[in-house]
Amino acid sequence: MLDVKDLRVRYGAVEAVKGVSFSVSAGSIVSLIGANGAGKTTSLRALTGLVRPSSGEVRFETASLLGRAPHEIVGLGIAHVPEGRRLFPKMTVLENLKMGAYRARRQKDIASTLGMIYEHFPILKERGRQVAGSLSGGEQQMLAIARALMSRPKLLLLDEPSMGLSPIMTAEIGKIIRQINDRDVSIILVEQNAMLALTLAQYGYVLETGSLVMQGNAQELLRDEGVKKAYLGI
Amino acid sequence: MTASLLVQSAVIGLSIGSIYILMALGLTLMFGMMHIINFAHGAVYMLGAYVIYYVFFQSGAPYFVSFVVAMVLLGVFGYLVERSIYRPVKGGIEPTLVALLALTTFLQAAGYPVFGQLDKHVPPVFEGTKNVLGVMVSVERLVIIPIAAALVVGLYLFINKTKMGAAMRAIEQDKEAAALQGVNVHVVNGLAFAIGFALAAASGALMAPIFKLDPMMGEQPLLKAFIIIILGGLGSIPGAIVGGLMLGLIDSIVATALGAEPAFLLSFVFIILVLLFKPTGLFGYAQ
Ligand SMILES: Nc1ncnc2c1ncn2[C@@H]1O[C@H](COP(=O)(O)OP(=O)(O)OP(=O)(O)O)[C@@H](O)[C@H]1O
Ligand SMILES: [Mg+2]
Repeated sequence: MLDVKDLRVRYGAVEAVKGVSFSVSAGSIVSLIGANGAGKTTSLRALTGLVRPSSGEVRFETASLLGRAPHEIVGLGIAHVPEGRRLFPKMTVLENLKMGAYRARRQKDIASTLGMIYEHFPILKERGRQVAGSLSGGEQQMLAIARALMSRPKLLLLDEPSMGLSPIMTAEIGKIIRQINDRDVSIILVEQNAMLALTLAQYGYVLETGSLVMQGNAQELLRDEGVKKAYLGI
Repeated sequence: MTASLLVQSAVIGLSIGSIYILMALGLTLMFGMMHIINFAHGAVYMLGAYVIYYVFFQSGAPYFVSFVVAMVLLGVFGYLVERSIYRPVKGGIEPTLVALLALTTFLQAAGYPVFGQLDKHVPPVFEGTKNVLGVMVSVERLVIIPIAAALVVGLYLFINKTKMGAAMRAIEQDKEAAALQGVNVHVVNGLAFAIGFALAAASGALMAPIFKLDPMMGEQPLLKAFIIIILGGLGSIPGAIVGGLMLGLIDSIVATALGAEPAFLLSFVFIILVLLFKPTGLFGYAQ
């Protein structure tokens, strides 16, 4: 459903993504792993129009994404949970969720999506009137994911959902990612926590300083000696 | 200072404060969302006053109609300024500020040939005086207060109760995150320009029957509005309201008691004191 070909992004003189290609098939979880500064975040930002690639091609279903503004790309069915969560800290939990459904036209649809979200994240219903800035790290991450789901995406981009979370909370987020995928939402999971990413994903790509250095079946990557040493710490 | 003089200058202060608030609200809204200081705000105030001169005084339209015309015309102008200056000018805040400064200078300079070299006067709209707490106050000054209050309440409801208002608050907190939720940031920024310009036009339109009109007439209220948003906290709407009331009251009461120059001086002393204790302003917070 998503095809990225030879994507290049530069910040001034520095090329952060140097010709990366990857694809996501409908219903799958694909993971991008790599160390600090590998270009994972930049790649996601290029997909949703937050940065303009210098060259390359991005096709989502039948549409080309290059040159489109972020608000149009959400409309096509791609939701992006950015690095650092980026909630609206002064808005309540409910207001944040409603912002996620900004493009929905009918009040009825928003209500039914909200009902579905509350089934998965009962804590968010409880915290509905609290401002987002006062939530714990794990709750903020849940809200960030839930806000993205409010747009009823076909493809969900997750940028380091485990960042700053306890092992227990990380496992919880892992479970949530599975549940979302079970509802036919395809996922690109960007993680420094390669173990988490590769256990959840079917397919993985390894980025190093802006270039793709390895790709394959997630299970195979988990067994690969090079990946083990560099990213799993074993 | 007698009690009646105090009441009188307090009412005048409230009415001047209302004008300051209308000016400061747009400035602070635009700063909060786009981190720009709209230097053109004073020129828009001036244009609002001239719309009253031409539409009300020269063409004989009812005052209320002329007031709405001023707000709508300059609101549309604000949207176009976003479209043609703010959006295309790239390279950060500084080039944008220079462009807005150029627009200001252009509007003021064009004012002389277009509106004439001589000051213009608009005849009184609301004549007579009204008894407030036993003191007679000019109706012209008095009506400013409810009109401004209505506009403030309207803005408050718009920002807090509508979807577009939610989009504005979202942009103020995180522009990129707002775009990722599907907000067309350009359009909503354009709306903020339109609202800011319309409110500046409203202030000019309210003052037109009270002060003489000349192309530089917006500079003093602009300066006051700058002071207010720094006092209240950059980007804060409650700050603009409280700051505007304080400055209006200080201006008027101290000016009545001690004269205009001490009032001007004292308002600066007051602001410096506030900023010494709270550098982000009364309602501001560190970004
Ligand atoms: N706004 C920016 N301006 C300039 N350089 C940037 C910018 N954002 C990222 N970079 C650079 O681009 C490269 C890739 O950064 P990116 O954030 O995409 O990496 P990442 O893989 O997400 O890293 P991390 O795991 O630390 O989040 C880095 O060298 C970074 O310094
Ligand atoms: Mg990153």
